Formats: sequence, structure tokens, C-alpha cells
Amino acid sequence: MSLIVELDADGPVVRGGAPERPPPKPAVPANDGHGDVRKKTVPVIKPPAGPSASEWEGGKYVSLQEWLDGEGDEGAILLQPADDVRALDGRIGNAALISVDFHRIGDGRGYTHAFLLRNRLNYRGRLRALGAVTADQVFAMARVGFDSFALRADQDANAALAALGTFSVPYQSAPVAGAAAARAAANSAARVRLLERALGAIAARHERAALASSLSAEDLVITDVIARLGLPIDVFTLDTGRLHEETLALIPQIEQRYGLDIAVFRPNESAVAAYVAAHGRDGFYDGVAQRKRCCAVRKVEPLARALAGRDAWISGQRREQAVTRGALAEAEHDAERNMRKYNPLADWAWADVLAYAERFDIPMNALYARGYVSIGCEPCTKAIRPGEDPRAGRWWWENQDSKECGLHTTSLTSR
Amino acid sequence: MYRYDAVDRLIVEERVAQYRDQTRRYLAGLIDEDAFRPLRLQNGLYIQRYAPMLRIAIPYGVLSSTQLRKLAGIARRYDRGYGHFTTRQNIQYNWVKVEEVPDILAELATVSMHSIQTSGSCVRNVTTDAFAGLAQDEIVDPRPYCELMRQWSTLHPEFAHLPRKFKVAFNGAKEDRAATSVHDLAFDLYKDEAGDVRLVVKVGGGQGRTPRLASIIKRDLHWSELLTYSEAVLRTYNKLGRRDHIFKSRIKIQVEALGAAEFGRLVDEEWEHLRNGPNTLTEDALDRVAKHFVDPPLEAWSEPPARTLPLDANFRAWKKRNVVAHRHPDYAAVTISLKREGVAPGNATSEEMEFIADLADRYSFSEIRVSYHQNLLLPHVPRARLHELHAELETRNLARANIDLASDIICCPGGDFCSLANAKSIPLSAAIAAKLAPIEEKIGAIQINVSGCINACAHHHVGHIGVLGIDKGGEDWYQVLLGGRADGAGRLGVLTGKAVRQDEVPSIIDRLARHYLAIREDGESFIATVERAGVEAFKAALDARAEIAA
Repeated sequence: MSLIVELDADGPVVRGGAPERPPPKPAVPANDGHGDVRKKTVPVIKPPAGPSASEWEGGKYVSLQEWLDGEGDEGAILLQPADDVRALDGRIGNAALISVDFHRIGDGRGYTHAFLLRNRLNYRGRLRALGAVTADQVFAMARVGFDSFALRADQDANAALAALGTFSVPYQSAPVAGAAAARAAANSAARVRLLERALGAIAARHERAALASSLSAEDLVITDVIARLGLPIDVFTLDTGRLHEETLALIPQIEQRYGLDIAVFRPNESAVAAYVAAHGRDGFYDGVAQRKRCCAVRKVEPLARALAGRDAWISGQRREQAVTRGALAEAEHDAERNMRKYNPLADWAWADVLAYAERFDIPMNALYARGYVSIGCEPCTKAIRPGEDPRAGRWWWENQDSKECGLHTTSLTSR
Repeated sequence: MYRYDAVDRLIVEERVAQYRDQTRRYLAGLIDEDAFRPLRLQNGLYIQRYAPMLRIAIPYGVLSSTQLRKLAGIARRYDRGYGHFTTRQNIQYNWVKVEEVPDILAELATVSMHSIQTSGSCVRNVTTDAFAGLAQDEIVDPRPYCELMRQWSTLHPEFAHLPRKFKVAFNGAKEDRAATSVHDLAFDLYKDEAGDVRLVVKVGGGQGRTPRLASIIKRDLHWSELLTYSEAVLRTYNKLGRRDHIFKSRIKIQVEALGAAEFGRLVDEEWEHLRNGPNTLTEDALDRVAKHFVDPPLEAWSEPPARTLPLDANFRAWKKRNVVAHRHPDYAAVTISLKREGVAPGNATSEEMEFIADLADRYSFSEIRVSYHQNLLLPHVPRARLHELHAELETRNLARANIDLASDIICCPGGDFCSLANAKSIPLSAAIAAKLAPIEEKIGAIQINVSGCINACAHHHVGHIGVLGIDKGGEDWYQVLLGGRADGAGRLGVLTGKAVRQDEVPSIIDRLARHYLAIREDGESFIATVERAGVEAFKAALDARAEIAA
């Protein structure tokens, strides 16, 4: 039995064994060109000598004509590229298997056979591709309805299994032609895959990357992906000493749920004492300068410590959050800290965050249920009314355009 | 301009990842040459005569300045600092390395571009009128339909191994500027009495060895049925198209063999099963895409009266030849000629692309178009700023006033690059342009096309004058065709005589042009004169001249 990958109800399985293959010889890419190939053109394609297989697990294959001529209700049919599949309409009977012979990679008739069998003849049984079947074809074959792939002798089952996951979203039917909701659903799924890919790429590119988590829903989305994919990205948070207890309660909750350690960085005690002595504990209400000084002591300096020795950091900022974030790039150079900074949720909408939270059932700060949208320190955050700017509840006594704490500085953007 | 959403982005990113892995396995010896060929081809990678060539899609010819800058950067970093724009609204790099292509594709993905299905036996890049959305004679803006077709046909699982390549074009204007009559599948968009958009469907057009004009198989397809009907056409072709002979495998052969009516009947039979199915376009789907193709914020400008401008002959000639009216009276579409002396037609350097991208930012809402004629367009330029723009273009040898003239030649890369070419096309184009230069203005509009081989990449069959390179005993010889046209219903050119050597071609074309000048009626264009007098009359004139010379 040759090497067969099959899609069962529980997922793909490998059946049969692969023959011993000689070790691969590296290719020599034709970077010097093919020269003048006119004389090499062979326009006539020889027809195949015969079917690629004569037997299946249960015995001999029958051809389409033999099936139609016979009683035609048991055994397995082997279809050839030139066969007219529609002849089987109402005649499939109890066929245990229908196989489609691919004589060469470039002959795509077998894909149409599969489409017609599945969609026109409503065939629900096992549908196998055999012959010139390589790992790089199985994704498209599965999409037209094949659920069994008898791989060409030189093929690797693992490559075929991996190829089954090549594309996450189909580019036909409902997501392209259908209602707005269908595209929105496809976009929502696509955004999650893009996030997974982006974080995977960050983990591959940097050795000491970390997520600066404010324990916001956005950061918990990123944390969830890091944990779900087991990515080597650290997570830390800044406990400013003025956070809501609801926010702080998330730390053990997340650690327990994901089995990961969140490093907690706190402000320098003497710096806090100096601030309180100079401005009072709540001196930030007196002006932007006083407020920014407080942010500097309680957030910016601890962040600097948290990022020391790192080569990249990740934030959960979104463009839609505030006017100050409208041009946010997904990847940028943090000039102040001289490292890469990633904002993988830059183009996410709040609805995307909520959809993710629901789909993956992630822990959420209890304050969201009480009308909070962007959550910072307790004295500096309040709930907002529907329709207000998402960050309207932060430092609500200040102007819109000053509403950053100093963690996210304007920096040179590059990809 | 269309902006990728997460679905578009993800598909292109996953495609890059797929091809990166395939390239890795190929280089490691895990994929053999035969299995790798369709994989690289469907990612736009050919192996040419001297190096691999990468073809990148510019869907329906629309580019942003950011995208053009990226193309310029790729040319500089991975190629030799230039790119070649093609008749099918692609750009080609002629000197890439096989192992660097995944990196190029990753860079393209960052600006919403790809090379998916720019070659191979699959549905190719969808093309249309470079003036879409702004042409005064436009009936329906084709771009939303093109984009929907792009999405649906991209990575379609069933139609990636067709008998042969499959080219789709749309036209939504009175004048066909997309050469739809020589496409495998083409659509003319119009509005019915109720104001609904409908399509005339044409199949079986093509050039190459067996040129054929497309046949109409449906006259009143509702826009919502664009994809279901296209699916029926493709499935019919995928099942019936010949696969035993590469020269007989295009859909045109099938349409010719069966007759257009019978082919149409088979399509209808298949279509009956698909109508109202999941690929039926909803209003939502059209709106989602169409909302990207709205006018930029055009403002009322007042053009200074001509007499207040300096008497600048170059500007006047350029304005006459390279500037086309825009739907908005205060704007114009400007063609930047890529047909310069000493430069291969359709080529632009990285510096030129970056310069044009900057001009687009400053003059044309950051938008550029790529035309069938291998030129670039700035689609929305305020008329009041034309003089200023011209002055800037002049500083970079980009202000040649030759659009639609004899030197605006459509030309393939030919034997200088292409491993299929029988003969060189670039130097011949230069020689033709030089020969006709003295009478170019007198001749006026004329389309000359020079292909280096039978594959007809330069569309020589539908040039007013077409030149085809052939191989005769290892030497470059050429046939000259007359009377073709790519617009309207299309017309195929007719051979004017026996093949000649390269040095004879310019004088043959010169004699054809001079015969036109001698017999034309008032205001009659070259092609109109050929059609009135007939190709035979021109052939006779050629023969008479030859006798005198003898």
C-alpha cells in the first residue's frame, strides 16, 4: 500500500508506509537562465500508457465504463482525466471508494471531477486522488472535495499534512461574493491568524521580546496567543501602585489560567515619595505637567527597567483608540529605547477584541462590564458613555491630544 | 483605490509563506524541477534566457505611490535597478535570483501586492482600461468588477491547472482600451434600460500562433452573475480544453472547434446548476469593493487661458499628445511616455519610478495607472498645473510627446531577454522609431507592435502595423502585418509579404506610412485609411516601390 493521507472526522491521518527514498540532492537554481530553449520545446504531450494504479485496499479497481456496464454497486471506481463524471449520476450505488487518476501535475481535470462528484452528484463517500499527487497539491484537492491522497512515491507525508493548513480563509463563495456579515466573519478569523503569524514572526526574529501588558483586554488577547502557541515571549506588567483592585486581581488569574509568570515591575519608592512630597499624592489633577511627572515616576521609569536588555517589545495599542494613535504602525523602531516595537493589534477594532475574548473565553477585567473601555490607574480612569472616544475616560480633565502617559512615544516608523 | 482587509492580507501572507517553504524544499532537493515548475510559475517566476524573470501583478493597472516606490526599491535591491511594464498591466524584473524571490514577495505583501497567477496555466492578472473611473466615455466603472474577479479567481482550487493560460479583461467605456477582443474571457459592461449593470460576455479571443477574435456568447448577463457564469466558462474549458498539444490548448481552439453557439450552450448547461448559488454576487459584496473606487477629493480649478502661458512648443505638443480629458472639467489624465530614445519600451529605472511616485503624491492624489500601451498615467492632474508638471517631467526625460504616435511602440522584451524569442524586438523598435521620426507628427495616431516571437506578447496581431520576429536558419527575420486593431470588435492584421531581414523592416513601415500620407482623405487616421483602401492597396504600393527600387 502506498503512502496515503486521509481526512477522517477527527482530522488527517497517515496510512500505509513510504518506500525508502534516496537522500535528496540540493537543486541548482537556474540563476544563469535557461539559454535559448526554442529547440527544446516539445509541444506534443504524450498520452499516458495506462492508469496509475490497478488496485486499492479492497481489490481491483474498475474503470468508469466497467462500473457502468456491470451491476455497479460494490468495489472501487478509478476515474481517468477524460472520463465524463456525470455518467455516474444515479449510478454510484454502494461504491466503497472513488479514486481520480492524475497522470501529471498539470492536468487539472481531476479537480473538476471532484467538484462535480461532491456538488452535483452528492457523493459523500471516500474520494481519493492518486497518481501525480504531491504535497503541494493536497490543499487545493481537499478544497474541491478529496479526502484521501495517495501520494506519489517520492513524497513526504509530513509535508502533505503541513500543506493541508496552507490557507486559513477561502477566497471564493461567501467571503468574496456574499453578504457583508460573511466577509466580516472571515475578517475576524483572518485577523486572529494574522496576529498569530505576527507574534510567531516576532518570536522567531527576537530572542528577548516581551509584551508590556497593562492587563487590558487587548493585552490579554496577545497573552492568550502567546500562551496558546507556546511562544517564547515574556509578559510583564507595571503595577503603578494606583491600579484598580479589579485590574490587580487579573494577575494571579492569568498566571493560573496559562501557567505563565508575569513579571511585575513597581515604581521606585523614593521617587514616589519625592513626588508625593512635591505635588501631593493626587497632584496630577493640577496640570498636565504634574500628571506627566506622576506617569514618569509610576510607569515610564519602571518600563525602562522592564525593557532593559530586551531587543523588542510589544504593545496592545490600536489605531482606533485615540487621535494620538491614528497613524500607528504595526512595526516601528522605538528610537528612545533603541529597539523594535510591535503593535500587532494596530488595525483591530474594539469589536474584534470582544469577538476574540468571547471565542477564546479569555479573562477580562471586571471594569469593562461597568462601562470602562481604556483602563489605567484608578484615580485617572473613569467609565465612558456610549459614543465617546475610547480613551475619553483617561485623564478626562485634559485635552484629547495630550492623552499619552509617555510609554508610547512618537517614533520613527519602519517596517 | 482598493485597500486590503484582513482576508486579503492573510491570503497574500500565507501565499508568501507557502512559496517560501516550497523554495526551501526545492533548494534542498525535496521538490524536483518538474514539480517545482508550476509552483514557481504560479508565483510569477519564469526562467529566461540569461536569468530568472519575476512578473508582478498590478491588478487592473492601478498603483499607489507607496506601491510604485516599493517596486522601485525591489528593482534596486534585487534586480538591476529597472523594471519592465507589460501590456497586461504587470511589471517584470529580468534579473532576480530564484532563492531571493520569497523575500521579494514578502516585501510586496507589505504594500498589498503579489505575483500570484501572473504565469502558468491559470487565470491571470485581470486587466482593464487604464483610464477607468475618469474617462469621459465611460459607461460603467469596471474596477469593482475587476477586483471581485481578482479575489474569486485568486487561488481558486479547481482552476489552477487549466489546459493553458487564461486571460480576463473588462471594458466599461465606449472605446475599448483593454484589447478585450483578444482575451480568453472578456466583459463589456453596460447599463440596461432599468439602469442595472449588465455584461456582454466574450470568449475565445487570443493571439499567439492561432490568433482569434473573441466571440460573444452572452449579451445580457446581470452583474450579480459575473462569478457564477465565469465559473461555468472555466469548468467547461477545464473539462473540454485540449491537453494533448500545447499549441491547441487555449480556449479559443475549443470555441473555434465547437462553434461559439455550441460552446455557449455547454456553458449555459453548466451555469444552470450554479445560478443563484454561493458565488452569486450580493449588493453587499459589490458595495464593499465599490466603496474603494470613488473619486479622490477633486476641486474646482481654473485653468489659465492658453495665451497667458509662455510660448512653449514642447509643452503644447505634450499637452496635445499626452493629456486626455477627465470626467471632471478641471482635471486631466496625463500619460508619461515610457517610449524614449535609447530606452527599451516600457522600461523605467528605480529613480524614475520614485520620481513618478513623488509626482503622483504632488499632482495626482498619490495614484498611478499602468496602461496597455506600456506607459504610466497620472490619472487626476489639475489642468491648472499641467505646465508645472510638464516642466518637472522634462528634467528627467519623461516628457516625450509621442502618445499614440509611431514611436509609442508596444514591444516585448524579445531575444535580448526572453528564452522563447526568435528575434530581437527592442533594437528593431528603436530603428523603426528613428526611421519614422521625420514624419511622425504628420502621420499622427498609429499603433505599431513588435513581437520577438509567435507568442505575441506585444500583440502584433492587433497592431495597426504588427511586426513578428521569426527564426530562419538561426537568423532574425521579420514578418510585417497590416490593418489589425485592438479596439472595438478587434481586427487581426494581415501579412504584407514575405519575411524580411531586420534592416528592411523600418523602410517597409516607412513606405506604408508614406502611402497613407499620399492617399488619406481629410482628417482620416492611418487605420481608417487602411480599412477604406484595403490592405491589398498598401501591399500593391509596397510591391510597386520594390520594383522601382529594383
